[in-house]
Amino acid sequence: MTTKQQNADDATRLPLAGLRIIDISNVFSLPYAGGLLADLGAEVIKIEGPGRLDISRGGVFSGVYPENEPSEDPWNRTSTFNLLNRGKKSLALDLRRHEGREVLRDLIRVSDVLTENFTPRVMRGWELDYPHAHKLNHNIIMVSCSGYGPHGPYAQYPAQATTQEATHGLAHVTGYRGDVPSKAGQSFVDFLATWALVMGTTLALRYRNRFGKGLWVDVAMYQLGCYMVADRILDWEANKRLGERIGNRHPWLAPQGCYRCAGDDAWCVVSVHDDEEWAALCRVIGREELARDARFASNDARMRNHDAIDPIIGAWTEKFSKTEAMERLQTAGVRAGAVFNARDMHLDPHAKARGLLETVEFPPERGIGKRVIIGRPWKLSGTPLATRGPAPTLGQHNREILQDILGYDDARYSEMEKSGIIGSRPTAARPILRMSMEERVRQGRLAYWDQDYKERLGIQD
Amino acid sequence: MVLPAVLDDLLVLDLGRGIAGPLCARLLGDYGADVIKVEPPGGECGRRMPPFFQDDPYPEKSLFFLLANLNKRGVALDLERKEGAALLRRLARTADVIIESFPPGYLASLGLDHATLAQDNPGLVMTSITPFGQTGPYSQYKGDEIVAYATGGIMAISGTADREPLQHGGFPAEYEAAMNGMLATNVALLTRDMNGVGQHVDVSVQDVVTSSLVINQPYYSFAGGVQGRRRAEGSSFGHVMPCKDGFFVTQEGGGVTWDGIADFFGRPELKEQRFADPTQRIANGHALDAIIMDATKDRTMAEMFKTASEQYRMLFGIVQTPEDLATCAQLEARGFYADVEHPVIGRIRVPFRLWNMSIGGATYHRPAPLLGQHNVEVLVNIGCSTAELATLHARGIIGGAGGA
Repeated sequence: MTTKQQNADDATRLPLAGLRIIDISNVFSLPYAGGLLADLGAEVIKIEGPGRLDISRGGVFSGVYPENEPSEDPWNRTSTFNLLNRGKKSLALDLRRHEGREVLRDLIRVSDVLTENFTPRVMRGWELDYPHAHKLNHNIIMVSCSGYGPHGPYAQYPAQATTQEATHGLAHVTGYRGDVPSKAGQSFVDFLATWALVMGTTLALRYRNRFGKGLWVDVAMYQLGCYMVADRILDWEANKRLGERIGNRHPWLAPQGCYRCAGDDAWCVVSVHDDEEWAALCRVIGREELARDARFASNDARMRNHDAIDPIIGAWTEKFSKTEAMERLQTAGVRAGAVFNARDMHLDPHAKARGLLETVEFPPERGIGKRVIIGRPWKLSGTPLATRGPAPTLGQHNREILQDILGYDDARYSEMEKSGIIGSRPTAARPILRMSMEERVRQGRLAYWDQDYKERLGIQD
Repeated sequence: MVLPAVLDDLLVLDLGRGIAGPLCARLLGDYGADVIKVEPPGGECGRRMPPFFQDDPYPEKSLFFLLANLNKRGVALDLERKEGAALLRRLARTADVIIESFPPGYLASLGLDHATLAQDNPGLVMTSITPFGQTGPYSQYKGDEIVAYATGGIMAISGTADREPLQHGGFPAEYEAAMNGMLATNVALLTRDMNGVGQHVDVSVQDVVTSSLVINQPYYSFAGGVQGRRRAEGSSFGHVMPCKDGFFVTQEGGGVTWDGIADFFGRPELKEQRFADPTQRIANGHALDAIIMDATKDRTMAEMFKTASEQYRMLFGIVQTPEDLATCAQLEARGFYADVEHPVIGRIRVPFRLWNMSIGGATYHRPAPLLGQHNVEVLVNIGCSTAELATLHARGIIGGAGGA
């Protein structure tokens, strides 16, 4: 092959093409990282126990089934699982048994990256932590994600994002002004971990390319969460200030807030950063005299008189829809943003133009059809990326992995199937939430639901 | 022996402003890249961001600037003057990566966009981190933290249903955008290592925020469900609850059964079906809250955190303050802080390490640069004579304490 052809081939190659990643992941953080690594071209093998399915295959974190219908194989149908695990292969392997771990050892020998998010003592107990994995494969990159890290006083504490959001300091600074601490969003620190896990994996791959050595990436969610309040920690270090909850206001700029618009649960945020933007805001809302009002003449004055400004902005925003308020303000150079909900993020023209959400088509026998899922928040001009297929059914690739990759013969494969070391049906099912959409709305789990969402999304069968 | 660092073969120019762009460039510096911050002669806006050391708003005392600009050298250069732009073009010829956060189209107007700079340097990677990305109808809209939270979809489900949507405290969207900028830069570098070709990376802060909504988003595309904010009353379990000296959060899951949770609180009545069954729990939220708050009114955060985590293996969190984090033994064990010696601020502990690696991990090298501190060494290195530098300085094209 000529160099020119080689270059042309390389240019269209996905960045992680040819790499094999073992993904022993659960819940959100690491499964999502594995899904992104699959988008980037890696062969990602997700391992779950037939008796220990990923939590996102059922129960409170699993989202919802297609058409809210669990069907015959609910564990393969949950929305969250199918978003996070797109483009992967599935091996259902019982790692609690010695024979299962022998399979994992064989896989480590022929893989590039091993990722896992057990509590730290688990892999250590199985002698599959980094020092042991390294013995099996000197070039292996291991990527671990845990709540607090493998060492230190909290190392063995159970952890999940909801409770860590308090412990890592975010809840202390989140809440309505002057009110109690609050949780915000959903499982926030999990996604910090997702980004860190992909950052760490890509750095480690470059390290191995340059220096010929694998290494261990050790991500602790708590540490990442604490980093997100680094500026507050510095304020304490330097000024002994604990910070306070200020709701939707800005810590040092004014005015800023979330204002009611015309429509049901419709809101628009507005944030003014300087005098020029204040004058622009006053023009847009038809109150130009306020730009000359001494009470609001400087940022300091606006900070002091914030309470007087809020009703003035609110009186204007309530006359417009949230998107119209945003457009009028932004067109005049004032920072503003409509509060978008899940419907908006699918249908808003900017979201559509950006194409963050991607449509995945499931094979007909899965009975899921076409679904829209989150892609990636970055675009590379020379490397078009897309999700590379739906998430697998449980154990879908057992045979391919054990026979084609590891070369096990038919007899050995059948024996493992018979003894339940591998499987394609769960031996311990995840809970199924059977609750109508109407009941979900009644209980406040949902604000509302669109019966015609498929038409709106253009994903009819 | 000094171990090689994974990015120590790279020259990075940081044209970022504020938090996300500069922090992204700093992360590259943490892994060995030579990062040169290029800011206007008056200093970038990040230098004017609180908090300040001892609350003194002197530009070299912004703690936010310090945090986002460790491990960099700095030049102060006016890109809007043609001599300044020419110097940047010269710097860009040998650069591997440029990080920037200007409004889309601004760099093109100065002839400093990726397409132009890549003509002389085809391996150049440019990463742009902007509020709404490089394309789409909102690409020229201005953004900030709360705008990202609103348009990203997370505010709609944060706070309570009886009140307005609520943003997170602090600047997590900016931090997250920085992480995604570095991640995508790494990907572009892996590609360049294969084919020698750089590319333009487009990171949208709005898209970053939306990308964390992995329950919320497909709830719609799988069944049409739109989540809102939780009800203010009757569903505090799984949310922040008060105790003797502060607040805690607990949740089902971890290594404990529901009965175990009832035992931790010392209230056997919690084992009743109306609480034990998650589908009935919300409807009985008032009674549940009352029992738990009564059981915890005399217990401390520290005691409950330890007991719940160690003896009951519960998922349990306590609302820690910045002071708690500054003195946290777990963060100490992780090597979270860097001891920074800054020429104006003095010695200060700065949160530094985001995660750990067995080799090649983040390393602290130098404090944030003073304005224009490295003008001479950087510009002489690309062939500027002392006489040229003096002229540029006199004309205000380069500036800052470093002078010429």
